[in-house]
Amino acid sequence: MTENENIIEVKNMTKIYEEGNTLAVDDISFSIRKGEVLALLGPNGAGKTTTISILATLLNGTKGKCLVNGYDVKKEPDKVRKSIGIVFQEPSLDTDMKAKENLELHAILYGMPKKYRRTKIEEVLKLVDLDDRAEVYVKNYSGGMKRRLEIARGLIHEPKVLFLDEPTLGLDPQTRRKIWDKIKELNQGEMKMTILITTHYMDEADELANRICIMDHGKIIAMDTSKNLKKKLSGDVIDITFEATEERLKFPEMIKKIKEVPGVKNISFSSVSTQQDMMPPLQLPKGMANIDPAMIQARIRDIISNPKKLITAWKNIPMTVGMFLNAPLDMKKRIANMFDEKLLEEVPDAIKQVIIKIRKGEHEEEDNGFEPTISISCESGGQQLPLIIEKINNEGFSIKNVSMHQPTLEDVFLHYVGNQIREETSSQAKNVKEMIQMRQLRK
Amino acid sequence: MSDLNLVKTKINYGVVWVLAKRELLSFWRSKSRVISSIAQAILFLFVFGAFPLSNIVMNEIIVSTRAFIASGISAMVILFTGIFGGMAVFRDKMFGFMKELMVAPVSRRTLMLGRTIGIALQTMIQVVIIIILGVIIGYYGYEDPFLVFRIMIIVPVAFLASLGVVGIGLTVSTRLNDMQSFGLIQTFIVMPMMWLSGAIAPLPPLILMFNPFSYCVDLFRFVLIGVSNFPPLLDLTVMIVFGAIFIIIGARSFNKMEVS
Ligand SMILES: Nc1ncnc2c1ncn2[C@@H]1O[C@H](COP(=O)(O)OP(=O)(O)OP(=O)(O)O)[C@@H](O)[C@H]1O
Ligand SMILES: [Mg+2]
Repeated sequence: MTENENIIEVKNMTKIYEEGNTLAVDDISFSIRKGEVLALLGPNGAGKTTTISILATLLNGTKGKCLVNGYDVKKEPDKVRKSIGIVFQEPSLDTDMKAKENLELHAILYGMPKKYRRTKIEEVLKLVDLDDRAEVYVKNYSGGMKRRLEIARGLIHEPKVLFLDEPTLGLDPQTRRKIWDKIKELNQGEMKMTILITTHYMDEADELANRICIMDHGKIIAMDTSKNLKKKLSGDVIDITFEATEERLKFPEMIKKIKEVPGVKNISFSSVSTQQDMMPPLQLPKGMANIDPAMIQARIRDIISNPKKLITAWKNIPMTVGMFLNAPLDMKKRIANMFDEKLLEEVPDAIKQVIIKIRKGEHEEEDNGFEPTISISCESGGQQLPLIIEKINNEGFSIKNVSMHQPTLEDVFLHYVGNQIREETSSQAKNVKEMIQMRQLRK
Repeated sequence: MSDLNLVKTKINYGVVWVLAKRELLSFWRSKSRVISSIAQAILFLFVFGAFPLSNIVMNEIIVSTRAFIASGISAMVILFTGIFGGMAVFRDKMFGFMKELMVAPVSRRTLMLGRTIGIALQTMIQVVIIIILGVIIGYYGYEDPFLVFRIMIIVPVAFLASLGVVGIGLTVSTRLNDMQSFGLIQTFIVMPMMWLSGAIAPLPPLILMFNPFSYCVDLFRFVLIGVSNFPPLLDLTVMIVFGAIFIIIGARSFNKMEVS
């Protein structure tokens, strides 16, 4: 019934990149109403750009059916192209042409009549504050200026559906505001343009979008208005920062205890060291960019589990001494326990002393900036907070700071996608094709 | 203004012309490209024209070596600029501009045609420059009363010939995904086509007949100095047939191209 009101209709969209064997979009379905602004959020690699590329007829989906403005993306790509405009995430300007020439070519490609073309180009150039640099070659533009020009170009021909892939990335705040105003105008003015925007700025999504769609690992994990999403996370969010502590391993237990408090809904923990082996993040020197960091980490792991190898490393590579001295206390302790008196003889002095101290338990309480923070969403902060603090005290942690606020879109986002930094590890590159085949077989 | 009146599956000639103009403009602006391609041709002219002035016999007609070389080299320019011009698509792919073109509401055929015509025009201009240089140096001799007429005829021939060559360039570059492959193209396509075309040294027709480009060289020679290995009508036919084939293949791969 509402079919004809949906300007974009996606059913079972799937995209597998043969190259790299990635399942970028995993069987998603959604629709966008005419005149709506939909914000597509998601961590890096979630599949946002892929989704947009398929809707914009740049990529062929592996499976599924997509209608844009009533036209099938696969069967009538030409008609779809006529209905859309797009600002790409990645650069797409002809840098060998002047700024204005880029815009003119665009206007001609979209069949705008000459007179209208000129006024429109001037208008968008003014909007992004490039009117005085229109005759400059794009290759002489700064990064932000190029970005602004791309946005200007996307706005020239006033399509029915506009795709904006991280449009305001790298722009200064004034320009961002101006772009926002323009987007609102296009959407709310007589054009009633439908806009699909991806962004990593929560304030942008909150400001512009009627509805929010959160994607992760190629799937849609939440889709609703910002207000409703926040309401689902109803109540309050309590952020607790702890004093620096070395008892990191006990954290999960404490979190479990807090979860037992009635009214607590979800806890997200932000800290770098929830991993088992407490590997400090590895900073590679610049020249070594070609080496796979995962390989180096594996190598280091091998070394730190073998005292003999460690001694060799300390003796021959000065950098490793520094690495040890700066390592988290847990790791130092573990290493210290590997050395007996005889082995200790061979250890370089600087390290020997530290190890001896640690084993005597004399190490000074050090503050290496580790201040774990947890973020608890609960039904009513006023009621649950005392209980939570009690639990924390029972576990023997000391609190540094507590704050409470209404859930923001950022809380919603973190709630859904978790807050570990996303890294595409090899374990994730499982054989996607097999996975899909298996799934089909099961059906 | 909401309904842009474009017929999509057809060719939009306004856009074709604008794209061709873009090609010409970028050619005009990158002076180094113009200069290097002309300098290369001049170098060839002098190096190969410096041989002793013995004459070459073609089809029982005696031809001056220099006229032979000069006409061959002007045909060669088509091969170089045409193929590498066609590869400009690759550059657009690298720098993302291709995406802008691919989402535009014009047919792929329009995009392809604009490109092809632009590069063909650009090639044609270079060929004419080289021929005029050859005339100035005196390689064609001054006694031929029809020389001006011949040069006028060569203009459309050069345009026609470059269309097919650009088609090769387009086909290759839509399928290429990295810069390294350029060397391969140079070694395995451009060089053999050039050396086996009889552009610089006379070769037996038995070899020439297997190289589509040698018909182009042959036709050039017929128009410029009045001698040829094959009948000119055969040259023209082969050139058009091959040109059409390469253009169609180029358009095919252009159509199928995915950009991301
Ligand atoms: N051309 C490609 N070839 C192979 N794999 C690709 C290609 N483009 C994207 N991918 C993979 O597809 C997945 C989704 O990528 P996509 O670009 O859609 O993410 P995104 O949500 O836009 O991320 P970001 O926020 O970083 O822009 C990633 O795992 C990525 O590695
Ligand atoms: Mg993206």
